[in-house]
Amino acid sequence: MIQFLNLLINGITEGLVVALPALAMTLVMGVNRFPNAATGDFMTTGAFLAVGAQLLGFQSLVIATLLAALITALLSAASYELIFKKLARQPMIASLLAAIGLGFLMRSVISFFAGHDQRTFNVPLVRAWNFDGIRILPTDLAIAAAALGCLAIVFVLLYQTSFGRQLRAVSDNPDLARASGIRARSLMIGLWLLVGLLSAIGGVLLGMKAVVMPELGWDHLIPAFAAMVLGGIGSPVGAVIGALLMSVAQELSVPLLGPSYKLVLSFGVLALVLLIRPAGLMGRVDLIR
Amino acid sequence: MDRRSLLKLSAATTTLQMLPGFAFAQQGGTFRVGSLCPVTGAGSPYGPGMQQAIRMAVDEVNAAGGAGGVKLELFTEDSQTKPDAAVLAAKKLIEVNKVQALIGTWASGVTLAVMPLTEAAGIIEMNTSGAPAISTLDTKDMVWRYQATNDRFGQAFAEICKKNGYKRPATMAFNNASGLGNTQGFTKAWEAQGGKVVAHVTYEPNRPSYRSELQKILDAKPDVIVTGSYLPDTTIILREWFQSGTPVKWIMPGWAASPDLVKALGNEVTEGIISVDSVSNEKSKSYAHYDALYNKATGKAGSTNVYAAMTYDMVVVLALAIEAAGPGATTAQVNAKIRDIGNPGGTPVFTFAEGKALLGKKEKINYEGASSKLDFDKYGDVTPDFGVYVIEKGQLVRKDVVSIPAGV
Repeated sequence: MIQFLNLLINGITEGLVVALPALAMTLVMGVNRFPNAATGDFMTTGAFLAVGAQLLGFQSLVIATLLAALITALLSAASYELIFKKLARQPMIASLLAAIGLGFLMRSVISFFAGHDQRTFNVPLVRAWNFDGIRILPTDLAIAAAALGCLAIVFVLLYQTSFGRQLRAVSDNPDLARASGIRARSLMIGLWLLVGLLSAIGGVLLGMKAVVMPELGWDHLIPAFAAMVLGGIGSPVGAVIGALLMSVAQELSVPLLGPSYKLVLSFGVLALVLLIRPAGLMGRVDLIR
Repeated sequence: MDRRSLLKLSAATTTLQMLPGFAFAQQGGTFRVGSLCPVTGAGSPYGPGMQQAIRMAVDEVNAAGGAGGVKLELFTEDSQTKPDAAVLAAKKLIEVNKVQALIGTWASGVTLAVMPLTEAAGIIEMNTSGAPAISTLDTKDMVWRYQATNDRFGQAFAEICKKNGYKRPATMAFNNASGLGNTQGFTKAWEAQGGKVVAHVTYEPNRPSYRSELQKILDAKPDVIVTGSYLPDTTIILREWFQSGTPVKWIMPGWAASPDLVKALGNEVTEGIISVDSVSNEKSKSYAHYDALYNKATGKAGSTNVYAAMTYDMVVVLALAIEAAGPGATTAQVNAKIRDIGNPGGTPVFTFAEGKALLGKKEKINYEGASSKLDFDKYGDVTPDFGVYVIEKGQLVRKDVVSIPAGV
């Protein structure tokens, strides 16, 4: 039981970290209709910028992260203006390839300047709180709280503000949205700023758990992608649920399958859900074309 | 000679000519060397230095007038420490650049992946990998290993465990041939001494967390954990272990428990970790020579990268073998000379220039490398000594040197 709870805690923390990039991807997928393969590298960029900010003297990780997130958001918006907007009328594959290329470029630029040595954030290590064998790491709590906070803000933005309403309108039916006078340009810039913010914070949280290397985001892109598909492409709530479900399933399978095969189970869950609900947990069939 | 045996003979020569090793002997006055170091990925703390050491040695050989009448020509690719990327790069080096030796592969998974290609092409492969399987899969005897096998690492780990009086070891291995080689070598040696391993976990690369894996190990209440791991995953595992607050000792290979690990985690977490690595041939003249060159080229001491000394030796050994084989030799003929110039029986030499001079006088030589004495056993493996380091206040302090019996 204690082991089960510990594994559950691990799974939830991992799931919350994966949820941020999954959400970022699903937002782009829902509105711009292409899988943004550069999401992982925006995460890496965010993590490296935060490491850099700490090296430059912004000792507080919160401030360093906010700075990094801000710059990454601007980069993300610029990538939309300069690349993806121009490809909007092309088939999806053009944007996808451009995103993969952009990811390569970012990774190379990072390794050119920062090298390939691993980096870590300057965070004090604290011992776990031990409740009769149930171990809770304060760092994990901070990571989970930060992820939850981000998710809350995004959902308020999406479902309680005019920005979110317009965004959902465009996502639902771009032509109808344009006919109703929704101005796409500022909306898109807003979306890509948000996507950049989410990716950067996801990158920092991932970097806090793992180590910051140029391949950090790229290596974790597949879980985020799988979470997005599981939750239903284009569905923000689905992405979060998908990420949590996959990560928890993975961790809980450790006693049964051993750590070497835990990935198998999480992708088994994915396959099963898609068999029963081809559009994903919260997805709608019309988005998948 | 009757007609039948003539037919047989001509059939045999035709077949021989079709073998790729014979097909491209040294063309155009160069011997083409492909370097495939782990510039990125898990090997990236070492790859750039290894590549520089190769470049450095190639320049040294060429400055000394080349070997066997030809200059060395270097082509470099990045293995990314990934077998799939390495195979693409090796294909390019072999098919496009037509290299005659592929050197500098680091991770065992990478070496194992490129070996079928080098074997099919009939070219020389030199690596710093540890997986035991490399010895036995090398059927043409063209693969040369400059690092101790993981099996030997495992034996050294077991030796250290015994010396320190540990009773309940557990093992954690990164899921590849090297990681598993370490822990399996340890388990074999430990059980041969009558010991028992209380738990074992094999974990996957590139995970954001290894808490569940660690928990499984700690539940078995070991007094020491022996790992076959790399730097990034070790960093994550140790951070989670320290935060969990369970006291336990660690024995790790030196490529994981390195100064970079201390830099990443700080002194408190890493205090007392036992780091085991093969040591360079530090008291030799060849090491002093190499150390000075490496320092000039990179600004770092030679001791910061034990693999760079190995890749440096690869080029020197290769060049001496080319020299010994003489002008116009095929790749296979060069390969056949490697034991002649590396193993005991000749005058010890410590640099390429020394060796070349003696070979010119038709003398036998024995190159004593910067990385180890380089006496190749029947598998083409060497047996370096192991340094036992303990991390004290953030410094790796060498406490002991462990020797294990040479391979047979």
